[in-house]
Amino acid sequence: MKTHAPKFLALFLAAVLALTLAAGGKAEAAQYRVAYIARAQADSFAAWLANAIKAEAGKYPDIELSVFDGEANDEKENGMIENAITNKFDCIIVQPNNGEAQRPYVENVVKAGIIAITTNARIDGIPGSSSVDADPYMQAKVNCDLALTQIPQNAKVVVLNGPPGNFHADERRRAWQIEFFDKRPDVEIVGEQIAHWNKDEAMTFMEDWVQSQSQIDAIVSMNDNMCAGALEVVKGNPKFDKLFAYGVDGTAEAVLLIKEGRMTATCMQSAYDLAELLLSSTDKLLTGAEKEINTDIGNPLITKDNVEDFVKILEAAGAL
Amino acid sequence: MSNEIRLRVAGITKLFPGVTALDGIDFAVRKGSVHVLCGENGAGKSTLMKIINGVYQADAGEIYVDERPVRINSPSDARRLGISMIFQELNYIPELTVAENFFLGEWPVNNFGRVDWRAIREATAELLQSEGLPYSPGSKLRDLTVSDIQMLEITKAVSKNCSVIIMDEPTSAITQREVEALFKKILALKARGVSIIYISHKLDEIFRIADEITVFRDGKAVGTRDASEFSIDAVISLMVGRKLENSYPKESVPLGEDILEADGISGEAFRNVTFRARRGEIVGFAGLMGAGRTEVARAMFGLDEISGGTVKVHGRAARITHPADSIKNGIAMLSEDRRRYGLIPMRSVRENCSLASLERMIYGGYLHSSEENSLVGRIFDRMRVKTPSLDTPIGSLSGGNQQKVLLAKWMLRDPDILILDEPTRGIDVGAKYEIYRLMTELVKDGKAIVMISSDLPELLGMCDRIYVMSQGTVTGELKRDEFSQETIMKYAIGAMDRARGHSYGAA
Amino acid sequence: MERRKIGSAWNTARQQYSIFMVLAFLFVICSRANPNFLSIANISNISRQLSVTTILAFGETILIIGGMLDLSAGSVIALSGVLAVASFKGAVAASVPVWGALILSFAAGVATGVACNIVNAMMITNFKVPPFIATLAMQTMARGAALLYTKGQNLLRLGDFVVFGQGSIASVPTPIIFMVCIFIVTWYTLRHTRFGRSIYAIGGNEEAAVASGIAVGRVKYKAFLFNGILVGIAGVLFMSRVNAGLPNGAINFEFQALTAAIIGGTSFSGGIGTAAGTLAGAFIVGFLDNIMNLTGVDSYVQQIVRGAIIALAVIYDIWAKGRRRTRSSLGDIDKKGVTA
Repeated sequence: MKTHAPKFLALFLAAVLALTLAAGGKAEAAQYRVAYIARAQADSFAAWLANAIKAEAGKYPDIELSVFDGEANDEKENGMIENAITNKFDCIIVQPNNGEAQRPYVENVVKAGIIAITTNARIDGIPGSSSVDADPYMQAKVNCDLALTQIPQNAKVVVLNGPPGNFHADERRRAWQIEFFDKRPDVEIVGEQIAHWNKDEAMTFMEDWVQSQSQIDAIVSMNDNMCAGALEVVKGNPKFDKLFAYGVDGTAEAVLLIKEGRMTATCMQSAYDLAELLLSSTDKLLTGAEKEINTDIGNPLITKDNVEDFVKILEAAGAL
Repeated sequence: MSNEIRLRVAGITKLFPGVTALDGIDFAVRKGSVHVLCGENGAGKSTLMKIINGVYQADAGEIYVDERPVRINSPSDARRLGISMIFQELNYIPELTVAENFFLGEWPVNNFGRVDWRAIREATAELLQSEGLPYSPGSKLRDLTVSDIQMLEITKAVSKNCSVIIMDEPTSAITQREVEALFKKILALKARGVSIIYISHKLDEIFRIADEITVFRDGKAVGTRDASEFSIDAVISLMVGRKLENSYPKESVPLGEDILEADGISGEAFRNVTFRARRGEIVGFAGLMGAGRTEVARAMFGLDEISGGTVKVHGRAARITHPADSIKNGIAMLSEDRRRYGLIPMRSVRENCSLASLERMIYGGYLHSSEENSLVGRIFDRMRVKTPSLDTPIGSLSGGNQQKVLLAKWMLRDPDILILDEPTRGIDVGAKYEIYRLMTELVKDGKAIVMISSDLPELLGMCDRIYVMSQGTVTGELKRDEFSQETIMKYAIGAMDRARGHSYGAA
Repeated sequence: MERRKIGSAWNTARQQYSIFMVLAFLFVICSRANPNFLSIANISNISRQLSVTTILAFGETILIIGGMLDLSAGSVIALSGVLAVASFKGAVAASVPVWGALILSFAAGVATGVACNIVNAMMITNFKVPPFIATLAMQTMARGAALLYTKGQNLLRLGDFVVFGQGSIASVPTPIIFMVCIFIVTWYTLRHTRFGRSIYAIGGNEEAAVASGIAVGRVKYKAFLFNGILVGIAGVLFMSRVNAGLPNGAINFEFQALTAAIIGGTSFSGGIGTAAGTLAGAFIVGFLDNIMNLTGVDSYVQQIVRGAIIALAVIYDIWAKGRRRTRSSLGDIDKKGVTA
């Protein structure tokens, strides 16, 4: 073992490198070269979106799409935007890690005469750039409207937040404040923590709340992942049969939980819809049909009443 | 020498867990004199010096400098009061240059906050020249010998106007020639009015330089006298509290067959070395520092590569590439550098002692603690290891006891061949005697011992045969009836002088 | 005389068990601060929440004792966890009976953990890559592999796979059973095996260990093998507990594990550390997080408190060990006073 170890390891590393490079290297001659710079492939929504965009791009024979991963790092993402400018892509789509950090770089894209599109979340106010997005405020608001009618008087609720400073996390929480908590002063927040979008962290918080609170009527979560974590804790506990639980994203897991009747509602932030709208907008911009597009996908609310439609969509997409 | 007292301590007491290290010590050093401290390891000399140097704080008692009471809470306090210590085991950063080392921690800064390297180099060059030291300020410490660094440390202390210099075992790792240079230096320092506290076990040396001698035993100062009023025997009997009949308990043991044979082996620092050792025999290796003796031992034990020649153990060819091989062949080695190759300082004496014989207490997938305790306890009794408990970290024992634990580690394995590299370096007379006694016992059991030592009387006293090495080769082999210090030195120096002729010829 | 004996026993206890006293102190404070703290359900909660990082911490303890560490643990959890989930789902789809699928998935998780750690060991022992760098490289590679395999999407509908993380035996949750068993194995390994003695020696002074005939390379391989098994088990437990295969889960878990080990008295300079100390270290962090959640302390404040307590626990530990000298000296002076 000892004497073969070096060869084995070297071979292993070389194989890893070769495989990765082979997977990346394909050359096609298309009319338009489009760069998609993702926030982070390690973020599950971002990864879903990237996959959806890749699939959608396959429907446009004149578009050749390259995907780059910003690795949740502003500096990396900015560097990738610069590289894409230098490489003279026809269109650069940016999913910012942090809108303000990427703003000057997207402005440079416009200056270089390249079509710039920002998405999920859009960077506002760059003249000449386009944007396609889902509105995080609206995503939470559709939940709030439902919750106003559902959550009983003097209810006790717990709140799970995304990472502070994240645009979607902050906007969704703002919507809950203005559209729900301000309108319902009778409702008391008995626990509020940052679970960084993570299922396991949300579980830990919920476990502690179940200990410390005699009554919890609703879970208000800024995404589905954390909501699913909190629900995992009270699974099979009859005390929480009437618990309301709200999330955002419309992940496969949330759709299943709504179907089982354990989760109340979520707002679909469909990566497919976003990808479809992105690519159609890209096409219009590239062919010169339009000069600037700023548009949003819809914010469909998923509840027990319409969940079957979404199950079908997800099944068709192979996510279930 | 004047009668003015430079440094005085009164009633110094220091307690460690389970041990009273110092018990009401009174002691004074006069200006421009050499005051020698002797005593067995653990007698308290080093502890007292560490208190004076601010490394430890006394639990009771006073320190006076120039008859004014002072508090010394750190070595930098001591430095401010003009006290400096040259440690037995020199700690230095090998990558530093002589100049950087001189100004370590107090590099002069120019107006822009940059370290002024030119000033440092110039000041160092000047200092080196005035002290007659032949190195360049730019040479790296790792290229210097222990003795060179010692000289640098002394020079450094003097340059900072230190009036008391403490030297802890300064001659334990340097050659005879270097010892002479050191003594010359000490005389010069005395003449300048510097007081020197000199700790040593080497009684013959002590009498050459001491003005006064204080003997320590079991944490007490048992006698202070002018050197002229002392004799070696008197010092020894004060140290051990009893009379030593014979400092070398050599017995003649019938020799058996060859058990270890090296035939023309070569390695990085030695070539074509041939030697053998027989059952019941103590074989010595003499030579100057750097002659390649330690390197031969290391290679025989599998720590370094043997690039040529053959090794036979028990008459069979042995392939030794790792200490595990040599241990399996019944070879054990006590390294000269016990801190680097011996001690696991933070682990207990028990664990250190068991480390090479784990299969004797761990079998059936389980550590038999009681067996370990009794094995270790028995060997410690036999070797008279002094330790507060088996759980005591080995790093907190005195040097002599550390060495005994390491020797006990190998005794526990019951090896056939024992390679001892400087086994008595930095060890007091009592512990030395016990190690000699043990060596005698071992050869009576039919074992073979290979001993490397820079202490000639010890080699002459204990060995049956001595190989002398110089410049990486064996230059002579002497039988017991041919033993003489002069012959050995001739073999050892002959080649040495040829090679380093000009560097030493000028001095 | 009698009092002195008791006094010195107390001192020994304080030096050796200082971290356990911190733990006991914290326990008392927490019980006072919130009545819910001391419920069986809550203590079981804490233990369950801690189980994954504590299991990692035992692996880290052994590595740190040996003068190494593993920064890849969190990523390898993700990789071994998603592979375990995938093999469970695959086996069930291929109509393997549930118990068979469980065994298969557990084995897949452990095998992945072991494979990654063998590569770590290889880089460190055969190529002399510093452990920090080698395991950092593995951190990136394993995370990439987990994301690649799942295309960044969570694996769902785990079915009976959740028994590992959510089940219980005789009303003791399975993750706690795993944690306790692994604690015992780690304790035994460090205390009673040749490997344990060797790893302490290597971390304490590698050259001296070599010179004592210890096959250092082999021992390091074994340490990573041990760590790999633990990381693999942790991966299975983690995914099972959250009822999902999360390719981006367990980020930074290695640091939580390292924190537990360090608070528990494991020394980064090597050669020192115990399984019990690490367990105590993990619970100190666990009690703190729990009491802050129970009493509704603000998230940002929690982070500050957590950092401060880590520093304080270590400072106390160092202080308690340092006091042994002065303390026992006082004892001896007493004795002298009596006899004089």
